[in-house]
Amino acid sequence: MARPLRRSSPITLILALVLFLGFIIFLLSPSNPVPSIPQSKIASSSSTRTSPNSPPPVIHYYLNNLTTSDDPIGNREKVLVLTPVARFYDEYWQNLLKLNYPRDLIELGFIVPKTREGNAALAKLDDAVRRVQTGSKKNRFSGVTIIRQDFDTPVPQNEKERHARPAQKERRGAMSRARNSLLYTTLGTETAWVLWLDADIIETPHTLIQDLASHDKAVIVPNCYQRYTEKGKEKVRPYDFNSWHDSETALAMAEKMGPDEIILEGYHEMATYRSLMAYERTEGDPHHLTELDGVGGTALLVKAEVHRDGAMFPPFPFYNLIETEGFAKMARRLGHQPYGLPNYLVYHYNE
Amino acid sequence: MPRHSHAYSNGHAYGPSNTFSISPHRFQPRTQPALRWRRKILFRICSISTLAAVILLLIFPSFRQVLLPSLGLSALLRDDPMISTVKHYDLSNVQGTARGWEKDERILMCVPLRDAEVHLPMFFSHLRNFTYPHRLIDLAFLVSDSKDHTLTLLKKQLEKVQADPDPLQPFGEISVIEKDFGQKVQQDVENRHGFAAQAGRRKTMAQARNWLLSATLRPYHSWVYWRDADVETAPPTILEDLMRHNKDVIVPNVWRPLPDWLGGEQPYDLNSWQESETALALAETLDEDAVIVEGYAEYATWRPHLAYLRDPYGDPDVEMEIDGVGGVSILAKARVFRAGVHFPAFSFERHAETEGFGKMAKRMKFSVVGLPHYTIWHLYEPSADDLKHMERMEEERLEKEAREKEELERQRRVTESWQDKKGEWEQDKKEIQNKALEKSRRERGERKPLGGSEQGPHAHAGEEEAESKKGSGESNAEANGMDAVGDV
Repeated sequence: MARPLRRSSPITLILALVLFLGFIIFLLSPSNPVPSIPQSKIASSSSTRTSPNSPPPVIHYYLNNLTTSDDPIGNREKVLVLTPVARFYDEYWQNLLKLNYPRDLIELGFIVPKTREGNAALAKLDDAVRRVQTGSKKNRFSGVTIIRQDFDTPVPQNEKERHARPAQKERRGAMSRARNSLLYTTLGTETAWVLWLDADIIETPHTLIQDLASHDKAVIVPNCYQRYTEKGKEKVRPYDFNSWHDSETALAMAEKMGPDEIILEGYHEMATYRSLMAYERTEGDPHHLTELDGVGGTALLVKAEVHRDGAMFPPFPFYNLIETEGFAKMARRLGHQPYGLPNYLVYHYNE
Repeated sequence: MPRHSHAYSNGHAYGPSNTFSISPHRFQPRTQPALRWRRKILFRICSISTLAAVILLLIFPSFRQVLLPSLGLSALLRDDPMISTVKHYDLSNVQGTARGWEKDERILMCVPLRDAEVHLPMFFSHLRNFTYPHRLIDLAFLVSDSKDHTLTLLKKQLEKVQADPDPLQPFGEISVIEKDFGQKVQQDVENRHGFAAQAGRRKTMAQARNWLLSATLRPYHSWVYWRDADVETAPPTILEDLMRHNKDVIVPNVWRPLPDWLGGEQPYDLNSWQESETALALAETLDEDAVIVEGYAEYATWRPHLAYLRDPYGDPDVEMEIDGVGGVSILAKARVFRAGVHFPAFSFERHAETEGFGKMAKRMKFSVVGLPHYTIWHLYEPSADDLKHMERMEEERLEKEAREKEELERQRRVTESWQDKKGEWEQDKKEIQNKALEKSRRERGERKPLGGSEQGPHAHAGEEEAESKKGSGESNAEANGMDAVGDV
C-alpha cells in the first residue's frame, strides 16, 4: 500500500484529485436544462393537466377598485410594512407585534445587506419571523418577504461614521437603492398603503397605521424622537431632521450647487435655515397637520399609488436632494403633497 | 532518572544474567513508516481539495449553491417548506446574464394596452413564436381606458395559449391589470402625434407603465421586457438577441413599412437618441414642466437618432450608446428597475416616459445601448394626412379609370361611325350599280336578250333581296352589294 503511493508523483495525485472533484461536481451540480429545450420538465406536466405543474392561470386584477381611505380597517385595505434591516433590535420586533392593525391585512418586507452584521441580523430576524408565522393562525402576518440585497453598503453603520458628512451621499445613495429594491419587489397588486418603518424605531403608538391613515394623505410622517436619560431623569430629544419646510436660503443654495451635490440637514457648515418639524413639537393636538417639503424615512406612511406613479427614493441627487428628502420632492413633482404630524411621536433606538 | 537503568523498556527485568537479549533496548523509528506516509498524503489531499474547492467557488458561482448547503452556511437563505407565508430571496441570484435561457432566468414581459383589440391577434402570433423558453416568461398586461373589447379578447387569447396542448407553449404567471387613468386625449393617430398633446399623453403613458411594473415585478425576475402590441415584424429570437449583449438597457431600431407612394419604409421610433449640446442648451431655456419631444419642428435638437443610422446591410450586433430610449421594445435588467429607475410621469430633465427612463438610467450609471442595424418593424397606420392623400389618390384613380373608359367608348364609336359611312357608301355604290345594271338590262330587253340566262335570275334575286331589306341589315346589304358587284 505504501509503496505505490510513494512512487506516484505529486502530479499524478493532483490529476486524480481534479478528476475526483470533477466527478463530485458532476454528481452534485443542479441539472440545468438543455438550452431552450426544457422538454423533460414540462412534458411530464402536460400529460397530467391537473398536476401542480400545469401552466399557471390567467389572473385578473381590478386596480380600479383598490381604495386608500381614512378607514383602512373598515375597507380591508392591505398595508405593506417595509424595513431595511442593518441590525435587528428585539424592541423593534416587539413594537411591531404590538401594532393592533389586523395581521391578515399586514404584509412584511425586509431587506438585509450582505455583510457579517447583516448575516447576524438575518438569523435573528428569521428566528423571530418563524416564531410568529408558525404560531396560532390568527396571529400570523399575511406574508413575509425577506430579501438579501445585491450590492454592497459602503460604510459600516456605526453612529459616528454614519453621520460623517462626506460619507452621507454615498451611504444614503445605497440606502435609497436598498429601499427601492425592497419596494419594487414587494409592492403587489393588492397593496393599498406602504408603511416605512426603520429597524431602529423601537416605540410607536399601537394604533400607528390607523392614526396616520385617518388623515387620508398621500404621504404622511410622524415626528421621530429619541428617549435618553440625563442625570437619572428620562427625557426626549428630536432625532430625525429630514422632515422640513423649505427655506429661501436652502433654495438659493441649491441654485448655486452643481447637479451632483446634495444639501444635508443638521450640519453646521451647511446652514439651510429650513424650519424643521423636529422642533415644531408642542404638547398640543397629536393630529395637528403641517405641509412638508422634505420627509424623513424612519416612520413614513405612503399611499401605494404614490409609489406606483413612480415616486421612489432617488439614489442620485434629485434637485440636490437624496433618499427620503428626494422622495418628497418627487412625490410633489407628481402632484402628491407630503404632510407631517409634529405632535405625534415615534421613538428611535438610543445607541 | 532513566528508566532503562533498572529495567528494559520491553518489560524484562534488568538483570546481570547474561541471557539472550534483543539489542538495542530502545525505540528506534523506522526510516519511512507507512503511517507517516499516509498521514502526509491525507494532509496533502485535504489541502489540495480545499484549495480546489475555493478556486471552484471563485470561478463557478453556481457551484456555491451546491457546496454551501453541505457546509451548513446557507440555512439562512432557504425557505422553510413548512411555512408558506415566509419567502426568502437573494437578489444577487437574479442579476441577469448574457445567456439567461441556460440559467433559467425569468423575464417579466410588460405590455401596456389601450384600445388594441385589432392588434391582439398579430401580437399573439408573435408571442407564440418566441424562442425563449415560454415557462420562463411571465406576462403582465395593463388595460387602461379602453372602449373596445381589448380585455375580453385578451383573456380569451391568453386562456387559449395556456391551454395549448403543446407543452412548450404555455407561459409563466400571467397578470392582467385593469386600471383607468382618465385619458383626456383621444388616442387616434392624428391626436396621438400632435405636438400639443404630446407632453400630457406621454405623462399618462408613463404613469400606466409604472403602475404595471410596480405591481408585477417580483424578486425572482432577472429581466424586464417592454413590448408594444402593434409591432408587425420582429425576429422570434429577439429576447436572446438583445440579451446576448448583456447590457442594462437595450433597444433595437424601430422602422415601419410604408406604401410605395410614400417611399416603401421609414424610421418610426425617434425616441432613441444620443444627447446633443443643442438639446442640452435648449433644455436649459425651458420651463421646469416642459417636455422635449422628438420629431417636431418646435424642438430642433440636432440629436443623432438611432433610427436614422440604420444600414440595412450593417452588422446587427453593432452597439451605440444612447441617452433617450423608445418604448416599442426595451429589454432591461430587472436590477435597473429595482434600483428605482422608472418612467417619469413628470418632467425629468425636461423629458418624460421612455426618454426620461433612458436619462434616469444613465443618471444612475447603467449602460443604455441601441442597436442601429437590428431592426423590428412597427405596424403602419395611415395618419389623417396620409388618409387624405390616399383619398385623393383613390379619387384620382377613379377619375383616371372613368377617363379611360370614356376614351375607349369614344374610340369604339369612332370605329362604328366609320363603318357606318363605309356601309352607306357601299349601299350608294350598290344602288348605283343596280341602277346601272337595270338600265343595261332594260336596254338589252328592248334589244332582245342574248342568251345570258343563268346569271340573270341570280342577279335578279339579289336585287329583290336588296330591295326588300333596304335600310335594315347593313351586312346583308353589303354582302348583296358585293354579290351584285361580282355579278358585273
